Amino acid sequence: MKQKWTKGRKILLVVWLALILLITAAIVVVSLTGGPPDEEGESIREVMRDGVLHELNKVWFFGLEVNPAVVSAYLVTGVLLIAALLIRIIAVPRFRTVPGKFQAVLEKAVGFFSDMAKGNSPHKTGFVAAYIFSAGLYIFFSTLFELFGIQVLSTDGTSIPLPAPLADINGALAMGIMSFGVILGAGLIANGPKGALRVLKDFSLPISMSFRLFGALLSGLLVTELVYHYFALSFVLPAVIGIVFTLLHALIQTYVLTTLVSIFYGEAVEPRPKKVKKEKHKKPEAVSASPADEPQPEIKGE
Amino acid sequence: MPLNIDFVQVLLHMLNFVILAGGLTLILFNPIKKFMTERQKQFEDREEENRKNAEENERLKAELAAEKEAFEQEMASERMKAEKEAADAAKAYIESSKNEAAAIIAKAEKEAEKRREHILDSAQTEIGELVIGATQKLLGDTASPERTEALYDAFLKQAEQNAQQKEKRS
Repeated sequence: MKQKWTKGRKILLVVWLALILLITAAIVVVSLTGGPPDEEGESIREVMRDGVLHELNKVWFFGLEVNPAVVSAYLVTGVLLIAALLIRIIAVPRFRTVPGKFQAVLEKAVGFFSDMAKGNSPHKTGFVAAYIFSAGLYIFFSTLFELFGIQVLSTDGTSIPLPAPLADINGALAMGIMSFGVILGAGLIANGPKGALRVLKDFSLPISMSFRLFGALLSGLLVTELVYHYFALSFVLPAVIGIVFTLLHALIQTYVLTTLVSIFYGEAVEPRPKKVKKEKHKKPEAVSASPADEPQPEIKGE
Repeated sequence: MPLNIDFVQVLLHMLNFVILAGGLTLILFNPIKKFMTERQKQFEDREEENRKNAEENERLKAELAAEKEAFEQEMASERMKAEKEAADAAKAYIESSKNEAAAIIAKAEKEAEKRREHILDSAQTEIGELVIGATQKLLGDTASPERTEALYDAFLKQAEQNAQQKEKRS
């Protein structure tokens, strides 16, 4: 135990010293080069504005001029579907009763979303489990996607990195509207028009869902853009910031959206108790009748 | 539109997600879920089978215990019966032995009595003869055939009295 502590302290000391050296080196380099180079391209203001509004950099997608996030979304979908297909063909037929590591990971993922659906929507779980499984994987991997920094050519010929699909308000809005649609449809199927009306009362749900997702991912994107933009901040920090913002957002937003969808879904499909008609009051004569007047029940078997 | 919202792109995103959700559900979620459910069912079936086996074992154990108890009771009953029979047989044997011994003793006593009587009879005869002899010696010349006959008669009379007394005693 004592040796472990000593080892841990040594590692911490080494990391601390390395950080000091790196930051010192960065300061020296920046001071020698005379600060960040003059921006010939976009200013930080334009980058940030484009990060939010996606007005400048557009890409072609099957003849349509779209935001790069659309391409990101289809790329992520393609990769996920190919991976799923490979897993289905190679791994799933070799599943064993006692799972290996990879099987355990897959089962854990499916079990996690199934349990979440079962916990939040105990009355109907089948569809919502599949939906939040897909939504969870999509949000998680599409958020991680921006870590790869895949470059594409914009319509004006400049090279731009593909952002996370949900960092685009259109992507986040699509996710929110779809989730709301699923909840609304489930309420309609389970409880009829009354169920749908109950869901419609929460009309702010798609907006809140969309903007929560968008805001969370956008904040990460903006901070990352800010860090990437300045030369002085481009040492060590982008790796830390990128991983922290991307990974944490991926995990948190996956959890938040899937939990919200399953909770609202559960509320929408919850069976409503039927109204019981009030029983008519008995007449006072019948109540005050003496027991002797009442017909005595026959006692059989004596 | 505020925030540069473009509904075509929203629809493109929705289409993308519908394709992804359908694909993932069919290719990945359903098969894995099915496998997990089947395995769960297998475990539940095994558990149920184990439970049933345990119940059957308990039932057989109880049945065996009841049979053992019944057997032990029967054994105890048989043992008691055998002991009683042995005791009765021993008692009867002892009784018969006693009876036999009593009969032997009675027979021996009777025989001894007969012998004693016989000895007494012969002793009386001898005594009588001795008395007669002595009397003859004492009387000598006074003895005559009449006298002798009278003595014999007196003796016989005495012998008959003795015989009567003996009969009365028996």
